[in-house]
Amino acid sequence: MNHINRREFLKLGLATSSFLASGNGPDLVTKVFGKTDTPKKVIILGLDGLDPRLIKIWMDQGKLPNFQHLQSQGSFRPLRSSIPAQSPVAWSNFITGTDPGGHAIFDFIHRDPERYMAIFSSSETSEARRTISVGNLVFPLSGGDVKNLRKGRAFWQILEDYDIPATVFKIPSNYPPVPTKQRTLSGMGTPDILGSYGILNYYTTEVKEVMEDIGGARIHEVYVIGNRVEAKLPGPTNTFKKDRPESSINFKVFIDPVNPVAKIAIQDNEFILKEGEWSEWKKVRFNMIPTQSVSGICMFYLRQVRPEFKLYISPMNIDPAEPALPISTPTNYAEELEKEFGPFYTQGLPADTSALDNDILDDGEFLAQDDIVLRERLEMFDYELARFESGLFFYYLSSTDQRQHMFWRLIDKEHPSYDPLLASKYGNTIENIYIESDKILAKAMEKADKNTILMVMSDHGFTPFRRSFNLNTWLKESGYLSLINEWKQGEEMLFLNTDWSRTKAYALGLNSLYINERGREAEGIISPGAEKENLIREIAHKLENFKDPKTGKRPVFRAYVAKDVYHGPYVEQAPEIIAGYNSGYRSSWGTPLGRIPKVLIEDNKQKWSGDHCISPEVAPGILFINQKIKADSPALYDLTPTILKIFGIDKPKEMIGKPIF
Amino acid sequence: MMWVFNSIFGKIFDIIFLPFRSMSPWVALIIVSFMTGLLMLFIFRFTSNQKEIKKVKNKIKTYLLELRLYKDSLSISLKAQWNILRCNLKYISYSAKPMLVMIIPIILILIQLNFWFGYESLAPGQKAIFKVKLKDNYNPLEIDLNVESSSGLTIETLPLRMEEENEINWRISAKEKGIHNINVILKGERVTKTVAVAQKPLSKISPIKIRRNFIDELLYPVEAPIKSDMPIKSLEITYPTRSMNLFGWHIHWLIVYFALSIIFGFGFKGILKIEV
Repeated sequence: MNHINRREFLKLGLATSSFLASGNGPDLVTKVFGKTDTPKKVIILGLDGLDPRLIKIWMDQGKLPNFQHLQSQGSFRPLRSSIPAQSPVAWSNFITGTDPGGHAIFDFIHRDPERYMAIFSSSETSEARRTISVGNLVFPLSGGDVKNLRKGRAFWQILEDYDIPATVFKIPSNYPPVPTKQRTLSGMGTPDILGSYGILNYYTTEVKEVMEDIGGARIHEVYVIGNRVEAKLPGPTNTFKKDRPESSINFKVFIDPVNPVAKIAIQDNEFILKEGEWSEWKKVRFNMIPTQSVSGICMFYLRQVRPEFKLYISPMNIDPAEPALPISTPTNYAEELEKEFGPFYTQGLPADTSALDNDILDDGEFLAQDDIVLRERLEMFDYELARFESGLFFYYLSSTDQRQHMFWRLIDKEHPSYDPLLASKYGNTIENIYIESDKILAKAMEKADKNTILMVMSDHGFTPFRRSFNLNTWLKESGYLSLINEWKQGEEMLFLNTDWSRTKAYALGLNSLYINERGREAEGIISPGAEKENLIREIAHKLENFKDPKTGKRPVFRAYVAKDVYHGPYVEQAPEIIAGYNSGYRSSWGTPLGRIPKVLIEDNKQKWSGDHCISPEVAPGILFINQKIKADSPALYDLTPTILKIFGIDKPKEMIGKPIF
Repeated sequence: MMWVFNSIFGKIFDIIFLPFRSMSPWVALIIVSFMTGLLMLFIFRFTSNQKEIKKVKNKIKTYLLELRLYKDSLSISLKAQWNILRCNLKYISYSAKPMLVMIIPIILILIQLNFWFGYESLAPGQKAIFKVKLKDNYNPLEIDLNVESSSGLTIETLPLRMEEENEINWRISAKEKGIHNINVILKGERVTKTVAVAQKPLSKISPIKIRRNFIDELLYPVEAPIKSDMPIKSLEITYPTRSMNLFGWHIHWLIVYFALSIIFGFGFKGILKIEV
């Protein structure tokens, strides 16, 4: 079976012509919006993926004294996540105070019913509409466009209406940042300069390492000739040329014949690395035509000099000093941070999980890379916290999520990837990031005065991901999906082997199940109305009651019917059924891309071993607040009207949540 | 001899820039551009034939007027254009001599200014490469060469020897403010390269120390040259280059310098009654 990496299904091409869309003038000062003094202030720490069960264990052991203290001052509750408990969906619930029916983000991946194709749910990039061609050159006459597909107003936009200032740092599901005068920096969903979720480059002389089919990575075979390596660093597509070639930069690596050191020379950058050492950020420029270029930043890691040469180059991040795509509001906020701290990770999820999953980086190297991310983020946290005086400050941390995804296998002895030796070395990685979170909380608590509401929340919790469920295979085995050639099952993705004339339902995305509806899908066969309704109920019932023959457990904890659980104007766009997986289970990596393997459920042997894209009832998030709260079971969308209430603002009618105190 | 000249000439700039060391480099660049503008004007004044320049410029004006007045007459227009071209060539020939005279001091000034405005000193914690370039007949893999640094610097890596480039590199890291030294020890002899860390906004930075040689000494006049019998061609520190920040736009100092010098020159030619 061909393994599909997580990044592969997320890697959706965003057109590079949108680089033209973001003109960036050299503003000098970031404008500070709103009142300089508000009667109440709010600090929110958004610590992605913190789990209430783990936090309770470590609080009881006295390892999280600040969380304990905050609980004693106010309240601690599990926080109901979104359906499904996926980050873009969950954070959209929090941002808008609605559920997917109100913000139209249902999954990481949506589908185009005309083509049965996966499309990225959060943003859409379009090229310049009008161009003029001269020979092989194409000149855009208008800018491209990058659109945030999330509907509904963000809470900081509502605060802006009332002159309440807000700084919103790296909140997910806000790329490109929605228009506002508030200071915002985009988070999860922000692409690299290739328009993908982050594609690393790996240069090696080791032939067995050269594999073409790795999602999120490009592997280059190189040769050491005369103690020198010459290679190319790929860049964005050159949309200024008719044939749209890939831009690239040549670079050289000089290796000492004996000592484990190498010098890398790329454009104006020349630097020496020791074996096992990371470079600082390096700025490079991809030239498109003489007057147009795109600036990016990347880090180099000299993994090995000999006997085999191995060099890792991080995904090419958008340069915050000259953002080629919109990443902040005001546009010069990113530039301001760059001036203060130097270049920093702008990519939505910078921890290179793909490199670890594919053995390009080992556990220690991955952690070293994520430590760089964490250090950068903490410096910016200190900076923003120090200057926070009024209104609201939201701060987001991704390392909590990424480390749980990658290191769950080392705290779960039942996990197929559990390795006792690695567990003895890295088994405390998750515990350590919780302790780090506790230290961040300590700083926020120190800053919070009697007028400050301090909230710590996560979008979801975490559970083991031991078994992969192939939802399309289940549909096929249950008679809802038919193939053109049975013998080709498992070989093709994107439903290329699917007989739509005999297919009633299909799964695309991590949790989404769609009915092949007549008049909506290109080759739909199920009539809207009673036929469709009955089918939805039938599939949902069967899916919930199906048991894994190996474990006897139900892989799907709840199969949610969208129109029963969603509210708002976009329910019609939702998948008909949302598969809420059980603890220990999750959708396979092939399902989101329309793959139909022969095996229904497989052991997950990847390093990506913890997950949350399951039922929200199984993976709740956390809520700590320095207030006594009434709600026993608060939800993410309840926090939004709560924030507004703190500032004396009435809840807009489209919000479905209720204030928690 | 060349080193003595460099020392004296360099000292003049040290004195000129002394009051501006702690100010923005813009102040010194504006001052030196102003001085250069005036210098160019005076050189022009005393090396050009002012009378003839005035005469030829007046003639050009006359022919331009003729061109406008008789625009309906093709023959007069063509003749006027020919005369304008002729006078322009004459004007260029009158300007050639002062230009030639000016070029030498301007080059010497530019060489000096590049060390004041072209580079930034290292910040504490900043890394750079220290490069030892050997003469062609010496192999970096075979040469017995050691380096040591003063306490304000750290040599962070083992030597990186590049045979084809005839070069040995080390990564260094600045630790504390000051002018520090890196010593290269070769057969008991010691060559020292200075390294500037956290200097004032306007500081003379020497990226390269070269062996004794007329052209090289002319181009890199800040540090005393390496003895020519040593196997080393040059010692170099990769300082960050500096650009002049104009409302967020980063411009090379040379562009700013020439633009300002020309503006000042043209601004003052009327006051000083110099025909340009």
